[in-house]
Amino acid sequence: MKLIQFASITKKMALAAFGLFLLLFLPVHLGINLCLLREDGGEWYRNASHFMGTNYIVKVFEIVLMASVLLHIIIAILLTIENFLARPVKYKVKSKTKTKTGSKYMIITGVVIACFLVLHFINFYFVKLDLIEGKYTAEIEKIDKHFQQKALKLQKGELNEKEQAQLMAQYQAISQVSQEKMDMSQKNLVNLSKEEVKLYCGEDFEEYEPDFYVMSQDLFSNRLYSIIYIFVFVILGLHLSHAIKSIAQTFGLNHNKYNYAIELVANSYAILIPIGFALIPIWIMYIK
Amino acid sequence: MDFTLKIWRQENANAKGRFETYKINDISPDCSFLEMLDILNESLVNKLSHPVCFDNDCREGICGMCGLYINGHPHGPDQAITTCQLHMRKFKDKETIVIEPWRAKPFPIIRDLVVDRTALDKIIQEGGYVSVTTGGIPDGNAIPIPKYKADQAMDSASCIGCGACVAACKNASAMLFVSAKVTQLSLLPQGKPESSIRVQKMVAKMDELGFGNCTNTYACEAECPKEIKCSNIAKMNREFLFAKVCTEENI
Repeated sequence: MKLIQFASITKKMALAAFGLFLLLFLPVHLGINLCLLREDGGEWYRNASHFMGTNYIVKVFEIVLMASVLLHIIIAILLTIENFLARPVKYKVKSKTKTKTGSKYMIITGVVIACFLVLHFINFYFVKLDLIEGKYTAEIEKIDKHFQQKALKLQKGELNEKEQAQLMAQYQAISQVSQEKMDMSQKNLVNLSKEEVKLYCGEDFEEYEPDFYVMSQDLFSNRLYSIIYIFVFVILGLHLSHAIKSIAQTFGLNHNKYNYAIELVANSYAILIPIGFALIPIWIMYIK
Repeated sequence: MDFTLKIWRQENANAKGRFETYKINDISPDCSFLEMLDILNESLVNKLSHPVCFDNDCREGICGMCGLYINGHPHGPDQAITTCQLHMRKFKDKETIVIEPWRAKPFPIIRDLVVDRTALDKIIQEGGYVSVTTGGIPDGNAIPIPKYKADQAMDSASCIGCGACVAACKNASAMLFVSAKVTQLSLLPQGKPESSIRVQKMVAKMDELGFGNCTNTYACEAECPKEIKCSNIAKMNREFLFAKVCTEENI
Protein backbone atom coordinates (compact mmCIF):
# COMPACT_ATOMS: atom_id res chain seq x y z
CA MET A 1 0.00 0.00 0.00
CA LYS A 2 1.64 3.18 -1.14
CA LEU A 3 0.09 6.37 0.18
CA ILE A 4 2.30 8.70 -1.80
CA GLN A 5 4.01 7.78 -5.02
CA PHE A 6 7.58 7.77 -3.82
CA ALA A 7 9.76 4.75 -3.19
CA SER A 8 9.93 3.64 0.45
CA ILE A 9 13.63 4.50 0.62
CA THR A 10 13.01 7.99 -0.81
CA LYS A 11 10.39 8.66 1.88
CA LYS A 12 12.70 7.39 4.57
CA MET A 13 15.55 9.58 3.32
CA ALA A 14 13.25 12.61 3.34
CA LEU A 15 12.20 11.78 6.90
CA ALA A 16 15.85 11.43 7.89
CA ALA A 17 16.88 14.67 6.15
CA PHE A 18 14.18 16.74 7.89
CA GLY A 19 15.04 15.04 11.16
CA LEU A 20 18.70 15.94 10.65
CA PHE A 21 17.78 19.61 10.28
CA LEU A 22 15.81 19.43 13.53
CA LEU A 23 18.85 17.80 15.17
CA LEU A 24 20.98 20.77 14.10
CA PHE A 25 18.46 23.23 15.54
CA LEU A 26 18.21 21.63 19.00
CA PRO A 27 21.72 22.65 20.21
CA VAL A 28 21.02 26.25 19.07
CA HIS A 29 17.81 26.29 21.10
CA LEU A 30 19.59 24.68 24.04
CA GLY A 31 22.33 27.31 23.88
CA ILE A 32 19.74 30.07 24.19
CA ASN A 33 17.88 28.28 26.98
CA LEU A 34 21.06 27.83 28.99
CA CYS A 35 21.29 31.63 29.20
CA LEU A 36 18.44 31.28 31.72
CA LEU A 37 20.94 29.79 34.16
CA ARG A 38 22.88 33.06 34.29
CA GLU A 39 21.71 35.22 37.18
CA ASP A 40 21.62 38.45 35.22
CA GLY A 41 17.92 39.22 35.29
CA GLY A 42 17.58 37.77 31.83
CA GLU A 43 20.01 40.08 30.01
CA TRP A 44 21.72 37.40 27.92
CA TYR A 45 18.48 35.52 27.35
CA ARG A 46 16.68 38.64 26.12
CA ASN A 47 19.62 39.52 23.84
CA ALA A 48 19.52 36.01 22.37
CA SER A 49 15.73 36.19 21.91
CA HIS A 50 16.14 39.59 20.29
CA PHE A 51 18.72 38.16 17.87
CA MET A 52 16.53 35.16 17.02
CA GLY A 53 13.51 37.40 16.54
CA THR A 54 15.09 40.04 14.33
CA ASN A 55 18.04 38.57 12.39
CA TYR A 56 17.12 38.02 8.74
CA ILE A 57 19.18 34.85 8.28
CA VAL A 58 17.44 33.39 11.34
CA LYS A 59 14.08 34.39 9.86
CA VAL A 60 14.80 32.44 6.68
CA PHE A 61 15.84 29.43 8.74
CA GLU A 62 12.69 29.81 10.82
CA ILE A 63 10.63 29.04 7.71
CA VAL A 64 12.87 26.07 6.85
CA LEU A 65 12.57 24.85 10.44
CA MET A 66 8.77 25.04 10.50
CA ALA A 67 8.59 23.25 7.14
CA SER A 68 10.95 20.57 8.48
CA VAL A 69 8.84 20.04 11.59
CA LEU A 70 5.64 19.72 9.54
CA LEU A 71 7.10 17.47 6.85
CA HIS A 72 8.91 15.29 9.41
CA ILE A 73 5.57 14.72 11.17
CA ILE A 74 3.55 14.19 7.97
CA ILE A 75 6.00 11.69 6.45
CA ALA A 76 6.33 9.85 9.76
CA ILE A 77 2.55 9.47 10.01
CA LEU A 78 2.29 8.27 6.39
CA LEU A 79 5.07 5.72 6.90
CA THR A 80 3.48 4.49 10.13
CA ILE A 81 0.11 3.99 8.40
CA GLU A 82 1.82 2.09 5.57
CA ASN A 83 3.70 -0.03 8.10
CA PHE A 84 0.49 -0.75 9.99
CA LEU A 85 -1.24 -1.87 6.79
CA ALA A 86 1.66 -4.17 5.87
CA ARG A 87 0.56 -6.58 8.62
CA PRO A 88 -3.26 -6.60 8.72
CA VAL A 89 -3.47 -9.63 11.04
CA LYS A 90 -1.18 -9.12 14.03
CA TYR A 91 0.71 -11.83 15.89
CA LYS A 92 -1.05 -13.12 18.99
CA VAL A 93 2.25 -13.49 20.82
CA LYS A 94 4.15 -10.21 20.94
CA SER A 95 7.58 -10.25 19.34
CA LYS A 96 10.30 -11.28 21.77
CA THR A 97 13.16 -10.30 19.47
CA LYS A 98 15.70 -8.14 21.28
CA THR A 99 15.85 -4.70 19.69
CA LYS A 100 16.71 -1.19 20.84
CA THR A 101 13.81 0.38 22.80
CA GLY A 102 14.03 3.74 21.04
CA SER A 103 13.52 2.30 17.57
CA LYS A 104 10.29 0.52 18.51
CA TYR A 105 8.48 3.53 19.92
CA MET A 106 9.49 6.33 17.52
CA ILE A 107 5.88 7.18 16.61
CA ILE A 108 4.72 7.18 20.26
CA THR A 109 7.62 9.30 21.50
CA GLY A 110 7.10 11.45 18.41
CA VAL A 111 3.45 12.07 19.27
CA VAL A 112 4.38 13.04 22.85
CA ILE A 113 6.96 15.51 21.51
CA ALA A 114 4.46 16.88 18.97
CA CYS A 115 1.91 17.45 21.75
CA PHE A 116 4.50 19.30 23.79
CA LEU A 117 5.42 21.29 20.70
CA VAL A 118 1.82 22.49 20.42
CA LEU A 119 1.94 23.57 24.09
CA HIS A 120 5.31 25.22 23.47
CA PHE A 121 3.94 27.10 20.45
CA ILE A 122 0.94 28.32 22.44
CA ASN A 123 3.24 29.48 25.24
CA PHE A 124 5.89 31.16 23.12
CA TYR A 125 5.79 31.02 19.34
CA PHE A 126 2.19 32.21 18.92
CA VAL A 127 2.99 35.17 21.17
CA LYS A 128 5.76 36.06 18.76
CA LEU A 129 3.34 35.73 15.84
CA ASP A 130 0.94 37.95 17.80
CA LEU A 131 -1.82 35.33 17.87
CA ILE A 132 -1.86 35.07 21.66
CA GLU A 133 -1.17 37.78 24.22
CA GLY A 134 1.87 37.34 26.41
CA LYS A 135 4.32 39.59 28.21
CA TYR A 136 6.38 42.14 26.37
CA THR A 137 9.62 44.04 26.67
CA ALA A 138 10.84 47.24 25.04
CA GLU A 139 14.10 49.20 25.06
CA ILE A 140 13.86 52.40 27.08
CA GLU A 141 16.07 54.18 24.54
CA LYS A 142 13.60 53.39 21.76
CA ILE A 143 10.63 54.47 23.87
CA ASP A 144 12.42 57.75 24.61
CA LYS A 145 13.12 58.35 20.95
CA HIS A 146 9.51 57.64 20.06
CA PHE A 147 8.32 59.93 22.85
CA GLN A 148 10.60 62.76 21.73
CA GLN A 149 9.32 62.53 18.16
CA LYS A 150 5.77 62.80 19.49
CA ALA A 151 6.77 65.74 21.69
CA LEU A 152 8.29 67.48 18.67
CA LYS A 153 5.02 66.99 16.81
CA LEU A 154 3.20 68.46 19.79
CA GLN A 155 5.36 71.58 19.66
CA LYS A 156 4.58 71.97 15.97
CA GLY A 157 0.89 71.58 16.82
CA GLU A 158 0.42 68.46 14.66
CA LEU A 159 -1.35 66.38 17.29
CA ASN A 160 -5.08 66.32 17.80
CA GLU A 161 -6.69 66.43 21.22
CA LYS A 162 -6.89 62.69 21.72
CA GLU A 163 -3.22 62.20 20.86
CA GLN A 164 -2.26 65.02 23.20
CA ALA A 165 -4.12 63.38 26.05
CA GLN A 166 -2.44 60.06 25.30
CA LEU A 167 0.98 61.70 25.31
CA MET A 168 0.29 63.27 28.68
CA ALA A 169 -0.88 59.93 30.07
CA GLN A 170 2.28 58.26 28.74
CA TYR A 171 4.43 60.99 30.34
CA GLN A 172 2.75 60.52 33.69
CA ALA A 173 2.89 56.72 33.54
CA ILE A 174 6.52 56.56 32.54
CA SER A 175 7.64 58.98 35.23
CA GLN A 176 6.00 56.76 37.83
CA VAL A 177 7.13 53.41 36.42
CA SER A 178 8.01 50.98 39.18
CA GLN A 179 11.42 49.33 39.57
CA GLU A 180 9.80 45.94 38.95
CA LYS A 181 9.11 46.87 35.36
CA MET A 182 12.80 47.51 34.69
CA ASP A 183 15.45 44.90 34.09
CA MET A 184 18.72 44.80 36.05
CA SER A 185 20.66 46.89 33.55
CA GLN A 186 17.85 49.50 33.59
CA LYS A 187 17.89 49.53 29.81
CA ASN A 188 14.60 47.75 29.17
CA LEU A 189 11.06 47.85 30.37
CA VAL A 190 10.04 44.26 31.01
CA ASN A 191 7.05 42.13 32.04
CA LEU A 192 4.56 44.41 30.28
CA SER A 193 1.07 43.35 29.31
CA LYS A 194 -0.30 44.63 26.01
CA GLU A 195 -2.18 47.39 27.82
CA GLU A 196 0.94 48.45 29.66
CA VAL A 197 2.86 48.56 26.39
CA LYS A 198 0.27 50.99 25.05
CA LEU A 199 0.38 53.00 28.26
CA TYR A 200 4.15 53.27 28.62
CA CYS A 201 5.20 53.33 24.98
CA GLY A 202 2.28 55.02 23.21
CA GLU A 203 -0.47 53.60 20.98
CA ASP A 204 1.57 53.45 17.77
CA PHE A 205 4.83 52.13 19.25
CA GLU A 206 5.77 48.95 17.45
CA GLU A 207 9.29 48.12 18.54
CA TYR A 208 8.29 46.01 21.52
CA GLU A 209 9.13 42.31 21.65
CA PRO A 210 7.73 39.34 23.53
CA ASP A 211 9.39 39.06 26.95
CA PHE A 212 10.29 35.39 26.76
CA TYR A 213 12.38 35.62 29.92
CA VAL A 214 9.45 36.57 32.16
CA MET A 215 7.17 34.12 30.35
CA SER A 216 9.60 31.23 30.83
CA GLN A 217 10.19 32.14 34.49
CA ASP A 218 6.40 32.21 35.02
CA LEU A 219 6.05 28.76 33.45
CA PHE A 220 8.94 27.21 35.36
CA SER A 221 7.58 28.54 38.65
CA ASN A 222 4.65 26.18 37.99
CA ARG A 223 5.78 22.84 39.40
CA LEU A 224 3.39 20.78 37.25
CA TYR A 225 4.70 22.43 34.08
CA SER A 226 8.30 21.77 35.16
CA ILE A 227 7.55 18.09 35.74
CA ILE A 228 5.83 17.77 32.35
CA TYR A 229 8.81 19.56 30.81
CA ILE A 230 11.33 17.14 32.34
CA PHE A 231 9.18 14.14 31.37
CA VAL A 232 8.97 15.33 27.75
CA PHE A 233 12.73 15.64 27.58
CA VAL A 234 13.18 12.08 28.87
CA ILE A 235 10.89 11.04 26.02
CA LEU A 236 12.86 13.22 23.62
CA GLY A 237 16.03 11.43 24.76
CA LEU A 238 14.40 8.13 23.83
CA HIS A 239 13.42 9.56 20.44
CA LEU A 240 16.94 10.91 19.89
CA SER A 241 18.54 7.61 20.87
CA HIS A 242 17.36 6.26 17.53
CA ALA A 243 17.96 9.47 15.57
CA ILE A 244 21.57 9.83 14.48
CA LYS A 245 22.34 6.14 14.00
CA SER A 246 19.16 5.71 12.03
CA ILE A 247 19.92 8.71 9.81
CA ALA A 248 23.38 7.31 9.10
CA GLN A 249 21.92 3.90 8.23
CA THR A 250 19.24 5.40 5.99
CA PHE A 251 21.83 7.37 4.03
CA GLY A 252 23.96 4.24 3.78
CA LEU A 253 26.66 5.17 6.30
CA ASN A 254 27.35 1.86 8.00
CA HIS A 255 30.95 0.76 8.07
CA ASN A 256 33.12 -0.94 10.65
CA LYS A 257 35.66 1.90 10.39
CA TYR A 258 33.38 4.61 11.70
CA ASN A 259 30.35 2.86 13.23
CA TYR A 260 31.97 3.32 16.62
CA ALA A 261 32.26 7.08 16.07
CA ILE A 262 28.63 7.33 14.93
CA GLU A 263 27.49 5.42 18.00
CA LEU A 264 29.54 7.67 20.29
CA VAL A 265 28.15 10.87 18.73
CA ALA A 266 24.60 9.47 18.67
CA ASN A 267 24.63 8.35 22.30
CA SER A 268 26.26 11.50 23.66
CA TYR A 269 23.83 13.66 21.69
CA ALA A 270 20.82 11.70 22.93
CA ILE A 271 22.00 12.02 26.54
CA LEU A 272 23.49 15.52 26.67
CA ILE A 273 20.79 17.48 24.83
CA PRO A 274 17.84 16.33 27.00
CA ILE A 275 19.94 16.72 30.16
CA GLY A 276 20.80 20.27 29.08
CA PHE A 277 17.15 21.17 28.61
CA ALA A 278 15.94 19.41 31.77
CA LEU A 279 18.66 21.14 33.81
CA ILE A 280 16.83 24.48 33.59
CA PRO A 281 13.61 23.57 35.46
CA ILE A 282 15.64 21.48 37.94
CA TRP A 283 17.90 24.49 38.55
CA ILE A 284 14.93 26.81 39.02
CA MET A 285 13.04 24.36 41.28
CA TYR A 286 15.82 23.14 43.54
CA ILE A 287 18.99 25.20 43.31
CA LYS A 288 18.03 28.79 42.64
CA MET B 1 9.19 -34.09 27.66
CA ASP B 2 5.55 -32.95 27.62
CA PHE B 3 4.27 -29.86 25.86
CA THR B 4 1.06 -27.95 25.35
CA LEU B 5 0.87 -26.69 21.77
CA LYS B 6 -1.29 -23.78 20.68
CA ILE B 7 -1.34 -23.95 16.91
CA TRP B 8 -2.93 -21.54 14.42
CA ARG B 9 -5.45 -23.41 12.25
CA GLN B 10 -6.94 -21.77 9.17
CA GLU B 11 -8.61 -23.58 6.25
CA ASN B 12 -7.58 -21.08 3.55
CA ALA B 13 -6.57 -17.46 2.97
CA ASN B 14 -10.11 -16.14 3.41
CA ALA B 15 -11.24 -18.35 6.28
CA LYS B 16 -11.23 -17.10 9.84
CA GLY B 17 -8.34 -18.63 11.74
CA ARG B 18 -8.27 -19.84 15.32
CA PHE B 19 -5.88 -21.34 17.82
CA GLU B 20 -6.24 -25.00 18.69
CA THR B 21 -4.64 -26.56 21.73
CA TYR B 22 -2.96 -29.97 21.59
CA LYS B 23 -1.24 -31.95 24.33
CA ILE B 24 1.81 -33.94 23.32
CA ASN B 25 3.70 -36.29 25.64
CA ASP B 26 6.96 -38.26 25.77
CA ILE B 27 8.92 -36.15 23.32
CA SER B 28 12.67 -36.73 23.31
CA PRO B 29 14.79 -33.64 24.03
CA ASP B 30 16.85 -34.55 20.93
CA CYS B 31 13.75 -34.44 18.76
CA SER B 32 13.72 -31.58 16.24
CA PHE B 33 10.81 -29.17 16.23
CA LEU B 34 9.48 -30.44 12.91
CA GLU B 35 9.80 -34.06 14.05
CA MET B 36 7.73 -33.13 17.07
CA LEU B 37 5.08 -31.74 14.70
CA ASP B 38 5.31 -34.96 12.64
CA ILE B 39 4.56 -36.97 15.78
CA LEU B 40 1.61 -34.71 16.51
CA ASN B 41 0.34 -35.09 12.94
CA GLU B 42 0.61 -38.89 13.11
CA SER B 43 -1.56 -38.91 16.19
CA LEU B 44 -4.01 -36.55 14.46
CA VAL B 45 -4.18 -38.80 11.39
CA ASN B 46 -4.76 -41.82 13.64
CA LYS B 47 -7.69 -39.93 15.11
CA LEU B 48 -8.90 -39.28 11.52
CA SER B 49 -8.63 -35.52 11.88
CA HIS B 50 -6.77 -33.19 9.50
CA PRO B 51 -3.04 -32.87 10.26
CA VAL B 52 -1.43 -29.49 10.88
CA CYS B 53 -0.01 -28.14 7.59
CA PHE B 54 3.49 -26.69 7.72
CA ASP B 55 6.16 -26.02 5.10
CA ASN B 56 9.40 -27.97 5.08
CA ASP B 57 11.80 -29.54 2.63
CA CYS B 58 15.50 -30.18 3.23
CA ARG B 59 15.38 -30.26 7.03
CA GLU B 60 19.02 -29.20 7.25
CA GLY B 61 18.69 -25.42 7.20
CA ILE B 62 19.63 -24.68 3.60
CA CYS B 63 16.41 -24.56 1.59
CA GLY B 64 14.45 -21.85 3.42
CA MET B 65 11.13 -23.66 3.18
CA CYS B 66 10.34 -24.09 6.86
CA GLY B 67 9.35 -21.10 8.88
CA LEU B 68 7.20 -20.91 11.97
CA TYR B 69 6.67 -18.07 14.40
CA ILE B 70 7.29 -19.83 17.70
CA ASN B 71 6.66 -18.08 21.03
CA GLY B 72 7.30 -14.63 19.54
CA HIS B 73 10.39 -15.61 17.54
CA PRO B 74 10.58 -16.47 13.84
CA HIS B 75 12.37 -19.85 13.69
CA GLY B 76 12.01 -20.19 17.45
CA PRO B 77 14.08 -19.15 20.45
CA ASP B 78 17.57 -19.92 19.17
CA GLN B 79 20.15 -17.96 17.19
CA ALA B 80 21.11 -18.47 13.55
CA ILE B 81 18.98 -21.53 12.85
CA THR B 82 15.92 -22.38 10.82
CA THR B 83 12.88 -24.05 12.37
CA CYS B 84 14.04 -27.50 11.21
CA GLN B 85 17.31 -27.04 13.13
CA LEU B 86 15.51 -26.17 16.35
CA HIS B 87 15.51 -28.88 19.00
CA MET B 88 13.01 -29.53 21.75
CA ARG B 89 15.77 -29.25 24.39
CA LYS B 90 15.56 -25.48 23.84
CA PHE B 91 12.16 -25.57 25.60
CA LYS B 92 11.30 -26.28 29.19
CA ASP B 93 9.36 -29.41 30.10
CA LYS B 94 5.57 -28.79 30.31
CA GLU B 95 6.01 -25.50 28.44
CA THR B 96 3.19 -24.03 26.37
CA ILE B 97 4.41 -23.39 22.82
CA VAL B 98 2.44 -21.00 20.60
CA ILE B 99 2.97 -21.58 16.87
CA GLU B 100 1.82 -19.00 14.33
CA PRO B 101 2.43 -18.60 10.60
CA TRP B 102 4.49 -15.69 9.17
CA ARG B 103 2.14 -12.74 9.24
CA ALA B 104 2.41 -10.08 6.53
CA LYS B 105 0.08 -8.69 3.88
CA PRO B 106 2.25 -10.01 1.00
CA PHE B 107 2.32 -13.49 2.62
CA PRO B 108 -1.28 -14.79 2.40
CA ILE B 109 -1.96 -17.97 4.37
CA ILE B 110 -2.49 -21.06 2.23
CA ARG B 111 -3.47 -23.36 5.07
CA ASP B 112 -2.69 -23.47 8.80
CA LEU B 113 0.99 -22.57 9.10
CA VAL B 114 1.79 -22.54 5.37
CA VAL B 115 2.10 -19.10 3.80
CA ASP B 116 2.55 -18.11 0.17
CA ARG B 117 5.99 -16.51 -0.17
CA THR B 118 5.74 -15.94 -3.93
CA ALA B 119 6.14 -12.21 -3.21
CA LEU B 120 9.85 -12.78 -2.54
CA ASP B 121 10.21 -14.59 -5.88
CA LYS B 122 8.46 -11.70 -7.62
CA ILE B 123 11.04 -9.30 -6.22
CA ILE B 124 13.83 -11.55 -7.53
CA GLN B 125 12.13 -11.69 -10.94
CA GLU B 126 12.33 -7.89 -11.13
CA GLY B 127 16.12 -7.87 -11.23
CA GLY B 128 17.73 -10.30 -8.84
CA TYR B 129 19.77 -11.89 -11.61
CA VAL B 130 22.48 -11.18 -14.22
CA SER B 131 20.70 -10.83 -17.56
CA VAL B 132 23.57 -11.94 -19.82
CA THR B 133 24.94 -15.47 -19.93
CA THR B 134 28.06 -15.47 -17.83
CA GLY B 135 29.22 -18.89 -18.97
CA GLY B 136 30.67 -21.64 -16.86
CA ILE B 137 33.11 -21.27 -14.00
CA PRO B 138 35.91 -18.98 -15.24
CA ASP B 139 39.61 -19.45 -14.50
CA GLY B 140 40.45 -18.43 -10.95
CA ASN B 141 42.60 -15.56 -12.22
CA ALA B 142 40.47 -14.52 -15.22
CA ILE B 143 38.26 -12.04 -13.33
CA PRO B 144 40.12 -10.49 -10.41
CA ILE B 145 37.88 -10.08 -7.33
CA PRO B 146 39.36 -8.88 -4.03
CA LYS B 147 39.04 -11.51 -1.31
CA TYR B 148 37.10 -9.23 1.06
CA LYS B 149 34.53 -8.53 -1.66
CA ALA B 150 34.16 -12.19 -2.48
CA ASP B 151 33.63 -12.84 1.24
CA GLN B 152 31.04 -10.07 1.57
CA ALA B 153 29.19 -11.29 -1.53
CA MET B 154 29.23 -14.83 -0.15
CA ASP B 155 27.84 -13.63 3.19
CA SER B 156 25.01 -11.80 1.44
CA ALA B 157 24.40 -14.73 -0.90
CA SER B 158 23.85 -17.03 2.06
CA CYS B 159 20.29 -15.63 2.34
CA ILE B 160 17.92 -18.57 1.80
CA GLY B 161 14.84 -16.39 1.28
CA CYS B 162 12.85 -17.91 4.13
CA GLY B 163 11.15 -14.61 4.98
CA ALA B 164 12.06 -14.58 8.66
CA CYS B 165 13.17 -10.95 8.27
CA VAL B 166 9.66 -10.02 7.11
CA ALA B 167 8.12 -12.08 9.91
CA ALA B 168 10.37 -10.53 12.57
CA CYS B 169 10.03 -6.92 11.38
CA LYS B 170 7.41 -4.90 13.25
CA ASN B 171 6.54 -3.31 9.89
CA ALA B 172 6.69 -6.53 7.82
CA SER B 173 9.46 -4.96 5.75
CA ALA B 174 11.49 -7.06 3.32
CA MET B 175 14.47 -4.70 3.29
CA LEU B 176 16.96 -7.28 4.61
CA PHE B 177 16.00 -9.84 1.99
CA VAL B 178 16.06 -7.35 -0.89
CA SER B 179 19.28 -5.74 0.28
CA ALA B 180 21.03 -9.11 0.57
CA LYS B 181 20.15 -9.91 -3.03
CA VAL B 182 21.06 -6.41 -4.27
CA THR B 183 24.37 -6.44 -2.40
CA GLN B 184 25.38 -9.93 -3.42
CA LEU B 185 25.03 -9.10 -7.12
CA SER B 186 26.44 -5.58 -7.09
CA LEU B 187 29.62 -6.60 -5.28
CA LEU B 188 30.69 -8.94 -8.07
CA PRO B 189 31.86 -7.88 -11.57
CA GLN B 190 29.14 -9.87 -13.36
CA GLY B 191 26.34 -8.12 -11.48
CA LYS B 192 27.90 -4.66 -11.26
CA PRO B 193 26.81 -3.23 -14.67
CA GLU B 194 23.12 -3.64 -13.86
CA SER B 195 23.28 -2.60 -10.21
CA SER B 196 21.67 0.84 -10.60
CA ILE B 197 18.64 -0.33 -12.51
CA ARG B 198 18.36 -3.49 -10.39
CA VAL B 199 18.10 -1.69 -7.06
CA GLN B 200 15.41 0.66 -8.37
CA LYS B 201 13.33 -2.13 -9.89
CA MET B 202 13.56 -4.41 -6.87
CA VAL B 203 12.70 -1.64 -4.40
CA ALA B 204 9.76 -0.55 -6.58
CA LYS B 205 8.46 -4.11 -6.65
CA MET B 206 8.95 -4.51 -2.92
CA ASP B 207 6.86 -1.37 -2.29
CA GLU B 208 4.22 -2.44 -4.80
CA LEU B 209 3.75 -5.83 -3.14
CA GLY B 210 2.82 -4.14 0.14
CA PHE B 211 5.83 -4.78 2.36
CA GLY B 212 6.32 -2.16 5.08
CA ASN B 213 9.08 0.42 5.43
CA CYS B 214 12.30 -0.15 7.33
CA THR B 215 12.55 1.51 10.77
CA ASN B 216 16.16 0.41 11.35
CA THR B 217 15.03 -1.66 14.33
CA TYR B 218 17.30 -4.56 13.32
CA ALA B 219 14.89 -7.28 14.46
CA CYS B 220 15.52 -8.87 11.05
CA GLU B 221 19.25 -9.13 11.73
CA ALA B 222 18.59 -10.64 15.16
CA GLU B 223 16.29 -13.36 13.77
CA CYS B 224 17.95 -14.14 10.41
CA PRO B 225 18.92 -17.83 10.36
CA LYS B 226 21.84 -16.99 8.08
CA GLU B 227 22.98 -13.95 10.09
CA ILE B 228 22.65 -11.49 7.22
CA LYS B 229 23.85 -8.11 8.49
CA CYS B 230 21.94 -4.83 8.34
CA SER B 231 25.00 -3.28 6.68
CA ASN B 232 23.43 -4.80 3.55
CA ILE B 233 20.48 -2.45 4.00
CA ALA B 234 22.86 0.49 4.32
CA LYS B 235 24.57 -0.58 1.11
CA MET B 236 21.23 -0.85 -0.67
CA ASN B 237 20.22 2.63 0.56
CA ARG B 238 23.56 3.95 -0.71
CA GLU B 239 23.06 2.31 -4.08
CA PHE B 240 19.46 3.49 -4.32
CA LEU B 241 20.53 7.08 -3.63
CA PHE B 242 23.37 6.81 -6.15
CA ALA B 243 21.03 5.28 -8.74
CA LYS B 244 18.41 8.02 -8.30
CA VAL B 245 20.84 10.95 -8.15
CA CYS B 246 23.83 10.02 -10.28
CA THR B 247 22.69 7.69 -13.04
CA GLU B 248 20.64 8.54 -16.10
CA GLU B 249 19.01 5.13 -16.10
CA ASN B 250 15.83 5.64 -14.08
CA ILE B 251 12.71 3.55 -13.99
